Amino acid sequence: MPIELTRRDALSALTAAGITSTAGCAGFSDRTADASPMETLVGVADVLYPSEVEVTEEFIETFMFGRITDKEVYRERLTAGIETLNELATNEFGSAFLGLAPDERVSLFEETALRSGDSVHDGGDIEQVNYHILDELLFAFYASPKGGELVGNPNPRGFPGGFGYNPGVTQ
Amino acid sequence: MNETQSGEAQSSENLDRTPVEDADVCVVGAGPAGALLSYSLAKRGHDVVILEAGPRFDMEHRVDRMKLQIHPDRGVNEVWDMGGERDAYSMSGEQDWPLNKRRVKGVGGTSLHWGSVTPRLREKDFEMESRFGVGKDWPISYEDLQPYYARAEQEVGIAGPDNAPHQPPREEGYPMDPLPNSASDDLFAEAAEALDIDVQSMPMAINTGKYDRNQCQGYGTCEHVCPSGAKYTAEVHVEKAEAEGATVLTQTPVQRFEHGPDGEEVTGAVYKTPDGNTHTQEADVFVAAAGAFETPRLLLLSESDQYPDGLANSSGTVGRYFMQHEGALVIGIVPNQETYQGAYGPVVSSGIQQFYEGTAERGGANIMLLNTSDPSLAERAIDSSGFGDDLLETVNLYGNSIGTLNSVEMLPREDNRITLDRSKTDNHGNPVPDVQVEAGEFSEKGTEKAIQVGKDLIEEMGGNVAFVQGTTTDSDEFIEDIKGGYHPMGGTRMGTDPDDSVVDPNLQTHDLDNLYISGGGVFVTGGAANPTLTIMALSLKAADNIHGSLAG
Repeated sequence: MPIELTRRDALSALTAAGITSTAGCAGFSDRTADASPMETLVGVADVLYPSEVEVTEEFIETFMFGRITDKEVYRERLTAGIETLNELATNEFGSAFLGLAPDERVSLFEETALRSGDSVHDGGDIEQVNYHILDELLFAFYASPKGGELVGNPNPRGFPGGFGYNPGVTQ
Repeated sequence: MNETQSGEAQSSENLDRTPVEDADVCVVGAGPAGALLSYSLAKRGHDVVILEAGPRFDMEHRVDRMKLQIHPDRGVNEVWDMGGERDAYSMSGEQDWPLNKRRVKGVGGTSLHWGSVTPRLREKDFEMESRFGVGKDWPISYEDLQPYYARAEQEVGIAGPDNAPHQPPREEGYPMDPLPNSASDDLFAEAAEALDIDVQSMPMAINTGKYDRNQCQGYGTCEHVCPSGAKYTAEVHVEKAEAEGATVLTQTPVQRFEHGPDGEEVTGAVYKTPDGNTHTQEADVFVAAAGAFETPRLLLLSESDQYPDGLANSSGTVGRYFMQHEGALVIGIVPNQETYQGAYGPVVSSGIQQFYEGTAERGGANIMLLNTSDPSLAERAIDSSGFGDDLLETVNLYGNSIGTLNSVEMLPREDNRITLDRSKTDNHGNPVPDVQVEAGEFSEKGTEKAIQVGKDLIEEMGGNVAFVQGTTTDSDEFIEDIKGGYHPMGGTRMGTDPDDSVVDPNLQTHDLDNLYISGGGVFVTGGAANPTLTIMALSLKAADNIHGSLAG
């Protein structure tokens, strides 16, 4: 049974972080005739995250964007990054990223510098996709209880899950 | 506006950075050595102005800074925007430290990125020469400093154990109960019991609820960023000082002190502003609290016809007897034992103080038990090139690590020193500090002992020692975390004899009546205790003396 990343997961994180409003995130899930940036992010997260995880918009909207401070600046980086992704997808498979079949999306990661290349804040196009999109998505997941629980750590570093966690150890 | 690595914008133009008129006290540096002192004086009615070389960082972007810390490709120096010409330095001695990964310039100073471990020095630390025939005695005793330790602990908010062994005498309990044990603390305690070693709670400057700032939320990133604000930073007392009327001028690096014609008093602190202007702040009293690297440099840069070797340097000891704590790291793997590294929150909650005393031949060790002995889960994930199920498998290879981090006493040596490197200049054309340090046999033996204790404990719990570094490691092989520079001390040491020290027991310089030095630089010996609490205690002692001199 897939583990669904729900809004509740995200909100519990935000509550713990003292962030009470997600205002400013709504624009990312606006659906237009074209694919929204959020749909692409969900598609990318599906590749990045373990297969047992079912990615939801709410999780990304809240967990990832909830921890991005300069949302306007980030929106520009995101737009540019998605453009790069779509160019890569078109060059490899003749379609924008969301038009690719699941195995084509995986192949795109395997056959380009996505993930395997450098990740640079102000680097080249793919380097920036690695930094601003893929690394942010990985932080959102692996610094959340959902990601942590998969490796036995419900309060991974970077997540404000309260202090003093000690489940007791028995040797 | 310049956007920094964290995305936080630093305004350079809009602040009034002109000197404060009729200031009583001018403090250079808004870190722990200056903040509590400033508050202590401001609340007693003195007009205090703080000149801070770095900016004021906002709370909103702390999460971004934390993410810089977690990102495997970002340097520790980037977390607080350190580096570049402003922060240039040289290391010409045996050791090569990444200095800008060890200090922060800004309101809060290096406490912005410290681990917040706050033990007191021990009685013997003030009497190393009398007791062991090494180093030099301080001109004050533990008892002299004890009331100031108590005040500093109350002000800062320390969670610590009241009745633990191997601690110096206490007059009252810690303000907060100690942090609860972590999973790895429990593993260490069980192994230690079999070896007759005491594991005890570590005093930590982390709010567990009693203080008027956020409670610890368990980000697990306190060193080098606490996004919640539960970890004490000197921002707390800078803001309290401001509430009492103190003025803080940020991004105003002090270039030099000027003195009057008779050479007995400092008359002004000359500083630059981001718009390129130069100003001079006048005051009745000046306090150099710019950290143990920059304060001796500032004194040396303040050379004049009357003081060609630098200010407050008639003894010739400015920059000399510089020390650090030698570090050592021991990491082990305990098969089939989940150690929950990173899940607990604070990076340290317990330690071993049993080997603090040392001997005449061997430095004492403060052994800290790590709650974060492996890279964070998110860092591992980002650092890998994998994705999907393969990535999960890769990051899941961790989970059984455990480790100790050790702080070991180094003796003061005349030739361990900070000088000016006149071949290299900062962004204002001033020669940069040059740091020359050699560990010495005393601390080498101390790290060997500390490492052996860590190894014994890991093996006792059925683990395998996987990684060891200390003073016996070839310095070229050091991983970055273990390269030195974390606890700089000495260089402007305290004493009663003006011929071999820079400041007196009240931190007043021997040479200039109205110049004080606050910071680790005044330490005569370094002990093995993380120095910041002692720095703050000494600063309160200096503040009382300054108050007395101004009132008189």
